[in-house]
Amino acid sequence: MGNKVNSTCETCPQYNAKGLKKLGLNTENVDFVVALAGNPNTGKSTVFNALTGLRQHTGNWPGKTVTRAEGAFEYNSQKFKLIDLPGTYSLLSTSQDEEVARNFILFGKPDVTVIVVDASRLERNLNLVLQILEITDKAVLCLNLMDEAKRNNIKIDTRTLARDLGIPVVPTSARFNEGIPDLIQTINEVATGKIICKPHRIKNVPKNIENAVKTLTNEIEQQYPSIPNSRWIAFRLLEGDTHIIEALKTGELV
Amino acid sequence: MNYSPTYALLIFFGFSIVTYLLFRPRKGLFWVIKNNLESNEKIVIEDILKQLYHSENSGKELDVNSLTNALKFSNSTIIDVIKKMTINELVESDGDVLKLTSTGRDYALRIVRVHRLWEKYLAEKTGFDKIEWHGRAEEMEHKLNHEETNLLATQLGNPKYDPHGDPIPTKLGKMADLDGEFLSSIAVGSVGRIIHIEDEPDVIYKQILAENIHIGSQIRVVENNKQRVVFYAEGEEFKLAPIVAANITVSILKKEDVIEDVIVRLSSLKENEVAHILGISKESRGDRRRRLLDLGFVKGTEISIDLISPMQNPTAYLVKGTSIALRKDQASKILIKKDVEYGE
Amino acid sequence: MSKNSIENIIALSSDLRWQIGDDFHDGLAEGIYADASEIAGAAVSADDQKKRFRLDAKIDKIVTSKTWGFPIMFLILGVILWLTIIGANYPSSMLAQLLLDTIHPLLKNGAASVGMPWWLDGFLIDGVYLAVAWVIAVMLPPMAIFFPLFTLLEDFGYLPRVAFNLDYMFKKSGAHGKQALTMSMGFGCNAAGVVATRIIDSPRERLIAIITNNFSLCNGRWPTQILIATIFIGAVVPPSFSSIASLSAVIGIAILGIFFMFFTSWALTKTVLKGEVSTFNLELPPYRPPRFWKTIYTSLIDRTLIVLWRAILFAAPAGAVIWLISNIYIGNESIASWTINTLDGFGFLLGLNGVILLAYIVAIPANEIVIPTILMLTVMVSGIPGGEGAGVMFELDSVTATGDILRAGGWTLLTAINLMLFSLLHNPCSTTIYTIYKETKSIKWTTVASILPVIMGFVITFLVAQIWRLVF
Ligand SMILES: Nc1nc2c(ncn2[C@@H]2O[C@H](COP(=O)(O)OP(=O)(O)O)[C@@H](O)[C@H]2O)c(=O)[nH]1
Ligand SMILES: [Mg+2]
Repeated sequence: MGNKVNSTCETCPQYNAKGLKKLGLNTENVDFVVALAGNPNTGKSTVFNALTGLRQHTGNWPGKTVTRAEGAFEYNSQKFKLIDLPGTYSLLSTSQDEEVARNFILFGKPDVTVIVVDASRLERNLNLVLQILEITDKAVLCLNLMDEAKRNNIKIDTRTLARDLGIPVVPTSARFNEGIPDLIQTINEVATGKIICKPHRIKNVPKNIENAVKTLTNEIEQQYPSIPNSRWIAFRLLEGDTHIIEALKTGELV
Repeated sequence: MNYSPTYALLIFFGFSIVTYLLFRPRKGLFWVIKNNLESNEKIVIEDILKQLYHSENSGKELDVNSLTNALKFSNSTIIDVIKKMTINELVESDGDVLKLTSTGRDYALRIVRVHRLWEKYLAEKTGFDKIEWHGRAEEMEHKLNHEETNLLATQLGNPKYDPHGDPIPTKLGKMADLDGEFLSSIAVGSVGRIIHIEDEPDVIYKQILAENIHIGSQIRVVENNKQRVVFYAEGEEFKLAPIVAANITVSILKKEDVIEDVIVRLSSLKENEVAHILGISKESRGDRRRRLLDLGFVKGTEISIDLISPMQNPTAYLVKGTSIALRKDQASKILIKKDVEYGE
Repeated sequence: MSKNSIENIIALSSDLRWQIGDDFHDGLAEGIYADASEIAGAAVSADDQKKRFRLDAKIDKIVTSKTWGFPIMFLILGVILWLTIIGANYPSSMLAQLLLDTIHPLLKNGAASVGMPWWLDGFLIDGVYLAVAWVIAVMLPPMAIFFPLFTLLEDFGYLPRVAFNLDYMFKKSGAHGKQALTMSMGFGCNAAGVVATRIIDSPRERLIAIITNNFSLCNGRWPTQILIATIFIGAVVPPSFSSIASLSAVIGIAILGIFFMFFTSWALTKTVLKGEVSTFNLELPPYRPPRFWKTIYTSLIDRTLIVLWRAILFAAPAGAVIWLISNIYIGNESIASWTINTLDGFGFLLGLNGVILLAYIVAIPANEIVIPTILMLTVMVSGIPGGEGAGVMFELDSVTATGDILRAGGWTLLTAINLMLFSLLHNPCSTTIYTIYKETKSIKWTTVASILPVIMGFVITFLVAQIWRLVF
């Protein structure tokens, strides 16, 4: 499946161990902060556990991780802190989970955001992916549950997907530890700037909204030339997000 | 007094009844007294302004007499307050007739703004029943100051219309327009869209609610006479008494905007049928609406029934590869177009 | 940045938004999905038009069918509860043997041999140690059976189907179908049930589920119900029916709890929770075979041990308090017997007595110690022979002997029935109260959840007592 079938030994401990050290709860003095986002029940916690060696509860239930879980791992002697965000379908609404996830990606400014998606329900999952790509341009798509997709006869052209989204795509089956080494490698490359992402920007916005967003984006960029995600801020301002208004006032966003 | 179970029970029930009479919701003695203590001159002034505003808008003239009839305050209070309002140049009298000055009109507009914004707020951000919106907004319109109102408007995304379809005045008094005709006066055969449902008086509004008529839906009138108005909307038939129909405003649609007949509610989808989503009814609001959109109930999406629960409600629908259960009342607010069947 | 320019931006956004109108969110959401569909369309190719794995669909049709949906569900829940209650008996009595009958005397002897003063020895070993040991013995085995079983079902994906099947009933009382699951979880432990309400994503329905979880008879209360029913209810029918009668009484209480849950849910939506936002949607995830050992491990760590640990933290001071109030004298009366005398009048009105009320006050931390406390206090105030001394909780192996002590303490059938009712309807244990606070972060809702059931308990036992006395 996909582009990067490495060796038959992909799942054996020796392979996994190379360069990777699971650090569990020890999250001090990290070099990079990595956020795990995604729809509920796509395997975020499973990925989190695979990377950190922790045993976060995973359940076949939409809506399990409500509080933020943190852990760490080391790769090529660089320390990564990993944060398992609550699963959400979107970042546009007002629910508590969405607020936690949205605020962390926006204000926490993670070095990399790993977006875990369900390979057999890609279209539905892309809704969230596209929103996240408006906020941050350092992201990795973790195409999880590949085994289920295979079972359902779904094939995904990861190269096309990576090109269209403008971020690296790594197919995994986290439950069976497949693709995890690749994922770590890719996270590392994005964090260190070896891979530069050119994330997709939402195109099909209705004309009247797009015009308003453009006007507002220009205005914001004039005032804050260094802001990386002015378009997202414009979306949120039009939505009436008081948190963003507050953040603009305090200068938290720049 | 010695213990006896009978006495104990009597004392208990006596106590319960007293507590109930004191604290039952809204009508309890405690609340009534509390409300009376709170009602003051400001409320009287604002109610008078509002009353004048609404009658002037509908082209009626009001004198002090009809004003005292319309409001629940005592005659002497109203006359006192009107005197003060004249001195403060909020109203002026023209013979018997009372008129708003331009300051008075601005003030009235502000009250209307708060009222409609608050109804919008209740609809979008809370779970209160529709039937309660008006009453709660009546109380709130006297409580919010200018800044709080503007903050509220921002949080709601500066809405143009309130949930009944009435335009909300902006900070500067600008208002979107509302032009349509009453459903009771629409010719048979015309097609239109419901743009306003009046929430007063209560009795009539309750009847409209009971019928499950949704604002924003496209209708076609098939019968209109002294006995009843019959129309089709979203695949269902509705029959109303003309007096009820008069509380619904419809804007007539031009030929090219008409997409009727194919629109039905998702609740009418049967097992093994396939359909495409046309949109979500305006009746689904706030977080509920957003959640549906986030879950992929958006225009153009293919939808079919996946599972029906043992009690027939909820039903699980297959949307973008996932099975999502919705209750019947939610499903009735999603509009679909059924795909034509070509046989198996 | 100047304050003015920020105000400008905000004013501009207000203005633009007004021009766009109310369709902003719809337009944006549709736009994003349109992009998503283009991108997915280009990358995904499905060989087969089959939407879902066929076995999944087959299972789903059966477990949600009109005929089989409910029987399967009740069967599964019944089996789990049966395994928990019956299966926990053996490890529980082994633990009790070890902690109470073996280690406790050893500790006492040890304390005596090092010459520990009697009050320190009583406070630490009879008070703190005994309470903790009791909680572990009663609580650990059922939880260690119940939670892993429940979690396995959860991981398999069956539980969302239960919510789907039952939603209609819950909707009638304004609640969410998923409350069926948090309620079932409450049969294991209310604190865990409250945590589990996180799966309910609608704010109003979540609060309802939290506040009413206490009406699920938790495993700390099952043993009380069973013991009292066996002693008093079993005794009023001919011996050959006595076990059936007492079993039905216990099940009746559990069902009464479910009834109160529905009733309270309904009453809450009509009153205090009227304005809370309610959204409903329920995703039915695909079935996934659970990872057996991993699931057992995480459920033990995440649920069982955490809950147990909290219970111990709360039980230890409770044990200390029980010992202290029985051994500190004011004048020539211990605090315990003074309190019992004070509460006796009120207790009588409720068809209970001062001992029971005091036991429930000191047992707020853990319902598991209610019976041992009642026995100890009864022996202490009635002066009948038995027990281990003031402040030393105990339980008897023989049900008859327990019954004898209670009858000697003035218990009647009415006391027993009302104790069973009160055990169902009283404040949640302090672990649960603490958990409710952590989950809601609201003093208001924590208070409501704590006070409401105890008020209902007072009213119900009061009414039962008066009517009982009028009739008999
Ligand atoms: N077959 C399969 N199941 C997986 C995979 N990853 C996760 N799961 C299962 O999917 C379910 C949800 O996983 P979880 O990590 O809790 O998802 P989260 O809600 O996104 O945190 C669990 O039952 C996992 O065992 C995978 O790659 N393949
Ligand atoms: Mg998770």
